Amino acid sequence: MTVAEAPVRPRAPRAGHPSPMSVWRLLWLELRRNAMPWMFPLLAALFVFDPYRTAMSYPPLWDLRASVVVNKLLPDFVAFVAGVAAWMGSRDSRRHTADLVTATARPRWAAWLVTWAATAIWAVILYLCGVAVIYGVTATQATWGHPLWWPVAVGCAELAVISALGFAAGTFFPGRFTAPLAAVAAFFLSLEGFDNAVGRSSVYALLSPTTSVPGDDIGVFYHYVPDLAIAQLMFLTGLTVALLGVLGLARGAEGGLRLRRAAVVLTVAGVAAAGTAVGLVGTAREGKASVTIPALHDAANDRLIAFTPVCRPAGGVPVCVHPAYRAYLSQVKAAFTLVLREISGLPGAPARITEVGDVGLSTTPGTISGPPTELSFGMPPTVGSFGQTKSGFAGSLQVALVTAFIPGDGAASGKPGGSGSAGSGPPPGAVPPAVQARQAVQEGLLKTVGFRLPAQPPQLYAYGWPGALPTPQVHAAAERFAALPAATRRAWLAAHLAALRAGHITLAQLP
Amino acid sequence: MTAAGLQKPGPRAEAARPRRLLDLAGLRLVRLHLASRRVPGALAALALCGLVLRAALYWHWSLSSGNGAQSLALVMEAGAASVIAVAAQSPFGDPERATGRWLPYLRLGSAVGLTAAAFGALAAGAAAEHLPGGTLDILRNMAGLTGIGLLLAAVTGGALAWAGPMMYMIVAQFALIGDWPSPWMWPARPPHDLGGALCAGLVFAAGIVVATVRGARAFREV
Repeated sequence: MTVAEAPVRPRAPRAGHPSPMSVWRLLWLELRRNAMPWMFPLLAALFVFDPYRTAMSYPPLWDLRASVVVNKLLPDFVAFVAGVAAWMGSRDSRRHTADLVTATARPRWAAWLVTWAATAIWAVILYLCGVAVIYGVTATQATWGHPLWWPVAVGCAELAVISALGFAAGTFFPGRFTAPLAAVAAFFLSLEGFDNAVGRSSVYALLSPTTSVPGDDIGVFYHYVPDLAIAQLMFLTGLTVALLGVLGLARGAEGGLRLRRAAVVLTVAGVAAAGTAVGLVGTAREGKASVTIPALHDAANDRLIAFTPVCRPAGGVPVCVHPAYRAYLSQVKAAFTLVLREISGLPGAPARITEVGDVGLSTTPGTISGPPTELSFGMPPTVGSFGQTKSGFAGSLQVALVTAFIPGDGAASGKPGGSGSAGSGPPPGAVPPAVQARQAVQEGLLKTVGFRLPAQPPQLYAYGWPGALPTPQVHAAAERFAALPAATRRAWLAAHLAALRAGHITLAQLP
Repeated sequence: MTAAGLQKPGPRAEAARPRRLLDLAGLRLVRLHLASRRVPGALAALALCGLVLRAALYWHWSLSSGNGAQSLALVMEAGAASVIAVAAQSPFGDPERATGRWLPYLRLGSAVGLTAAAFGALAAGAAAEHLPGGTLDILRNMAGLTGIGLLLAAVTGGALAWAGPMMYMIVAQFALIGDWPSPWMWPARPPHDLGGALCAGLVFAAGIVVATVRGARAFREV
């Protein structure tokens, strides 16, 4: 037999695909060997110190408690997640085992993805533990609404992208200093870096979950609008996928042609998703209660949530609040009762007081409509939340009632958002004498119920004061008016209220 | 041969005295120690922190807490302290402890030297730009944060010791916003506040002593 006649050696059977079970086993190993659980004591301490404490200071409203999940819990986590992810990403290079593990059955890219997944899973588990505590306690306290899950989903997506960023940093720049630098960078990026990069006033700042938090009355008066959350989810998921795809294109990924193609597809898909989200957010506009994106918007979410208010009479006038604020009804009633004692029976005094939705943190001025005359007011921050005090809570409500009863002149206002510059107020000469007279009576009435207007503009406007900054002459006239005997004050108001509202009374004509 | 015929061995030659640290071999030891702690990399990372601080002050980046520049400087100080804490990690673990008597001095020198370098980098970054609190603030915060990092390195090992300064920095951000009076929250205190300086100095001293005597814990790396 010659060499030419020798049978061809059969090709070695192709190695089968590695068992999928080995992926789970690898993931289990990575979960057990991950550094993230070492962060648990620190994160638990930080959770109790910041997000939990803040959440418990808020009233038990799902929307407010959900804002903590995005605005407090997430920024506290990102530094540690990024640092640990970078640490895990640089593991093979740090241990000089890169060559050793290259010879294993799985391509490096697949192993990297498993390591990243283990880190992200731990981060999300710890995050969800925090959410569970906050939502669990809220569930025992809330009298209205249901948990908001979109912010939680966005938080998980941000943790995934932060861990992917950290992991990529660790993989491409392995070293012992990558972890702390990645932690600092992530903290900065999550809080302000993004904001500074796109400009604070830019609509694209909405892409960052920490720049956009749910409105105050979402889920109470208005439905939660998930438009922005969907776009954020798309953006963050797209970024994560693109980053993981880029990892597959790295030289050390050892993926082969097929895996490289898959990595390219992943990268392109991720960039496309993130780009689409950027485009969608570019069309965002301010809706009635929150930001809406026309392409994602469901008009059904614009309807008000139906509810039956809970009421309690205050000197014969029913005071009604949303059932979610049932626990605060007695405080609201007590605050209004003092003012109602002064003005009840006078023309234009409210026959009913009703809470309406207030989407901003700032106190909206009260308005009286009718007949029958009805005061509509927005609930100010409740006692304990946002640094609110008992007197501040009552003061805000009393300011709303008094300034609605004797309307000032918003046009001459120096109130933020008005014609004047924020907090500065127009020069004293710019406030007409009739408006000054109305301000003096407003301030005098507030003094009689024990509330003194703060002198500093920011504090004054925090109470929802709708007009210009009162001048010293106004303060003096208010002192005089408040010092009058109650019967005299009431008689003067009964006789002059119409003229005062019409602007026919000046400061000098006040008693 | 009987035992009587055996001769008593001569006295053993006296072991050579350890060389002084400043001779050629000593300098080599210092170089090797610094290389084992990745000090050149640490210096580069510290320079990066200084550059970012410079850029932040130049382009007026700020955190939205009100004390914008101060908050941002604190983030950079925490970053620099984290780098110093991580640099305390020894790649040799326990065997290194048996190698000679110079190790504590080498640890002390590298920790103090890196702290000085961090202060220099951040002060240079803040130079010619207005930083509330000035360089005194940087010195105090840097010292305190480094102390926290070195103390944590002794407990958990250097690898994850960066988490200590990071955690303190996050808590201190609240202290800055809320103007907390406690001297243990020294970043919120004015630069000339004695209580804050004492607390930061105490933590730094504790960290340096622990880093000198014990070093970073040789911990199973994850």
